[in-house]
Amino acid sequence: MQDIDFRYDLLPLKNKLFRLALRITLDSAEAEDVTSDTLIKVWNKREELKGVESIEAYCMTVCRNLALDRHEKKEAQNLSLEAYEIDATDNSFTPDEQLERDEKLRKVHELFNQLPERQRTIMQLRDIEEKSYREIATIMGVSEEVVKVTLFRARQAIRKQYDKIENYGL
Amino acid sequence: MDYKYIEQLLERYWVAETTEKEESILRAFFSQPDVPAHLLQYKGLFSYEQSQAEISLSDDFDEKILKKIGAAEPQIIVVRAKRQSFFRSLRPLYEAAAAIAIVAMVSYSASSYLNKQNSQSPWDYNPASYQDSYQSAQQSYKVVQDGLEMFQKTASADSTKQNNNLNSAHEE
Repeated sequence: MQDIDFRYDLLPLKNKLFRLALRITLDSAEAEDVTSDTLIKVWNKREELKGVESIEAYCMTVCRNLALDRHEKKEAQNLSLEAYEIDATDNSFTPDEQLERDEKLRKVHELFNQLPERQRTIMQLRDIEEKSYREIATIMGVSEEVVKVTLFRARQAIRKQYDKIENYGL
Repeated sequence: MDYKYIEQLLERYWVAETTEKEESILRAFFSQPDVPAHLLQYKGLFSYEQSQAEISLSDDFDEKILKKIGAAEPQIIVVRAKRQSFFRSLRPLYEAAAAIAIVAMVSYSASSYLNKQNSQSPWDYNPASYQDSYQSAQQSYKVVQDGLEMFQKTASADSTKQNNNLNSAHEE
């Protein structure tokens, strides 16, 4: 690979990174910080990364780790309740105003974000970013088999909740 | 209309058996306006996923991060003329001259060496045409005698040294 250019190689990844960070931290301000930290971290290490096969996958891995760090720190501070509140207000931030208006979408949003981190990250990468199992495995540092099994569990959980909502109007 | 195919895809979607292509077919199907009633409940999931793919950062993000890495907009490339002394500016000239001189020297010495080799006459084996190295017989005799004496001295010095070594070895 040639030299990494900030504007052409890293900056275009910002929204993908932001969405991943948002899915993990569930907080847009945190997610923005994580995105910016990721880009700066990768930029500062650019000399070592010339041999990296996919700079995008590398950035996603860094982004996930940074997001997890923040998320865990927050949980350690016993702020999970507050985080939940932020999550609720977060809907108003989401650029997609549809989410705010549409009750159904908001419910799916909650369903999605109630999944354990691994499951919702894999759902994010597969169903929203449309990544292959292989790419997801590279990003998360696990085997393709683990990705598949986790995705299976996530989709099963969503389906179960979904049917519950449909049947009982929960 | 038959929705068997979509239903099958959906079943396989839930158990994570669908390929990327099949999942994009599902997304396309659920994004169209007339989804049949019995599948309508799942529309929300796929439209949610599609709406989430469009989330993006605010416009001022680029500016902020570029400032952080020290590449603030607008990027102006300043080209400054480098000052250098007159002699320094002639440096390429010196280098060229030196290179030419080296090539000239090498080629001259090579050609003179080759000329010399060509001009040398073949070895003369005829004893009649041998020439003396020294003018007088006495002088040549002395040179030979000196040489032999020198040889004798070094030879005897070597042998005494060897004997001494042998003796000391015996003593030990």
